[in-house]
Amino acid sequence: MPQEYETFARDSAHLFGGKEVVMTLRDLTPGRRKYRGINVRGVVSRPPRPGEAVLWIRSVVGNRDPAPCSVRIVEELPETFQGLPYSDFFEAMQRA
Amino acid sequence: MVPNDLRSFLEATKASGDLVTIDAQVDWDQELAGIGRLACERNGPAFLFTNVKDYAPKWRVATNPIANWRRMAVAFGLPADTHVRQLYDTYAEREQHPIPPVIVRDGPCKEVVVPGDKVDLFDLPVPMVHDGDGGRYLGTWDLVVSKDTKSDWVNWGMYRFMVHNERLLTGFPRPTSHLGKMLLDGYVPQAKPMPIAIAIGCDCLSHLSAAATFRIAGNEADLAGGLRGSPVELVKCNTSDLYVPANAEIVIEAEVYLDRINQEGPYGEYPGYRSGEMGNAICARVTTITHRRDPILTVDTTGFMDSSATSTSITGAIAIKRRLEANNVPVVAVYVPPEGGVHLAIVAVRKGGAEIAQRVVNVLTVRRALISKIIVVDEDVDVFNMAAVIHAFATKCHPGSGLHVVRYKGRANTLTPAYTQEERVSRSGASVALDATWPPEWPRDATPVRATLDSMYSPDVQRRVLERWSALGLK
Repeated sequence: MPQEYETFARDSAHLFGGKEVVMTLRDLTPGRRKYRGINVRGVVSRPPRPGEAVLWIRSVVGNRDPAPCSVRIVEELPETFQGLPYSDFFEAMQRA
Repeated sequence: MVPNDLRSFLEATKASGDLVTIDAQVDWDQELAGIGRLACERNGPAFLFTNVKDYAPKWRVATNPIANWRRMAVAFGLPADTHVRQLYDTYAEREQHPIPPVIVRDGPCKEVVVPGDKVDLFDLPVPMVHDGDGGRYLGTWDLVVSKDTKSDWVNWGMYRFMVHNERLLTGFPRPTSHLGKMLLDGYVPQAKPMPIAIAIGCDCLSHLSAAATFRIAGNEADLAGGLRGSPVELVKCNTSDLYVPANAEIVIEAEVYLDRINQEGPYGEYPGYRSGEMGNAICARVTTITHRRDPILTVDTTGFMDSSATSTSITGAIAIKRRLEANNVPVVAVYVPPEGGVHLAIVAVRKGGAEIAQRVVNVLTVRRALISKIIVVDEDVDVFNMAAVIHAFATKCHPGSGLHVVRYKGRANTLTPAYTQEERVSRSGASVALDATWPPEWPRDATPVRATLDSMYSPDVQRRVLERWSALGLK
């Protein structure tokens, strides 16, 4: 079964274009670790590329874009981002 | 008798017919919470799940402990059919007699200790509450302990916490919450790591106290003692100087990062929506977990008519009444209907009018503004009778001059679904008093008379009608 993730985006447009972007992915592998989070730098493709992990994009209210993508993970990042409590998480990811 | 821990509460609700145990396997991924959610929406029972998919039978999950008035009554040690008005009166009376907690050396919550390097949050059957949430929420019906850096103030609050990975949690105690205030005003300026303890599965009145609208610098443990009529037994945490209820099923000890953040949310919240309030949260690293040998994880399947709706209905209404009294508003009664998702309050006053309505909304939005609509009614309207309230609102609130709006920035409720994303980020919003009272300047002889039995019939006719009604066997 191919690896499958989801991510949440305030503006999904910035994920596309073939450039590397920083994201938090939720691992959708069934089992007791489902929804485990990892922070990564990766490249998102739509339509999905063969051999890459499937990626679903959700909005900030949790709605899932029905069109699947794929993600190529370039590197796994530290488990947290630099930022003061309550600072904007999406901006922190962009700075990472 | 007040149940003094979760297990005795579950026994009491089972005896009153308000708890259903499900021994068949249920999936923690949405199914379990979906059952609890439907129960909230249909005024159904609480559930105890004894067989959670992927988890050993020693782990059990209980949903929505006091999400309706029957179970709230049981938590107070009252008959399950106690009227909500009496529950309000009981809370208001007991709240006046706080009892400080007592320290004990040991407790059931210490039966199993998982040290920090062995902690794996996925060992707990944390449910995926709704499809589309940002992750699995561990803190939905919890009691989060934190301590002020400058005083003896210990805060208990009910705040949501999400599992990120084996040892990391992200949470959303709002910046305007008491925990948020302690963090931003104390720990961050002093660059001092902030310990917290998330206690899960305590006695219900301790959780109710944590969820209560309570004064700054007030210790909710004292309130819990008052509501219970006996002191809460507290035991020291293993990795900090915080104290938690010894009867807790599970305790997650953690430390809030001062310079690190992570994704939190979105989450289907108590107003009944998932509003996009994600991206501004806190991040904490778990330092140890302690729990009972056969622990019960409590979950509030958050949304319309959840446990926070009933909890805040009582505690919020009493707090509103006391605050209005302190500000010389001639308040008679307050009701926060749970159907309003903690956004609506009904305030009955002895003397109404525009000036009073404006004062009501001003007073209730000074520090933080959780309630955004306040219907102000005359004292002859029973605030617990929503049919009467709607009648008064629909007929007495002047559509042109009866709305009194206050706008604010920096203290709005970011979970209010009506707000735009921009308002959420800047915590900007508004509250309105809907004045459904007669203007006091109207002469009595020109004020409309309500066409109900108790207003438009002579006392003698009322008596005869009621006697005949009874004689016919009608209720």
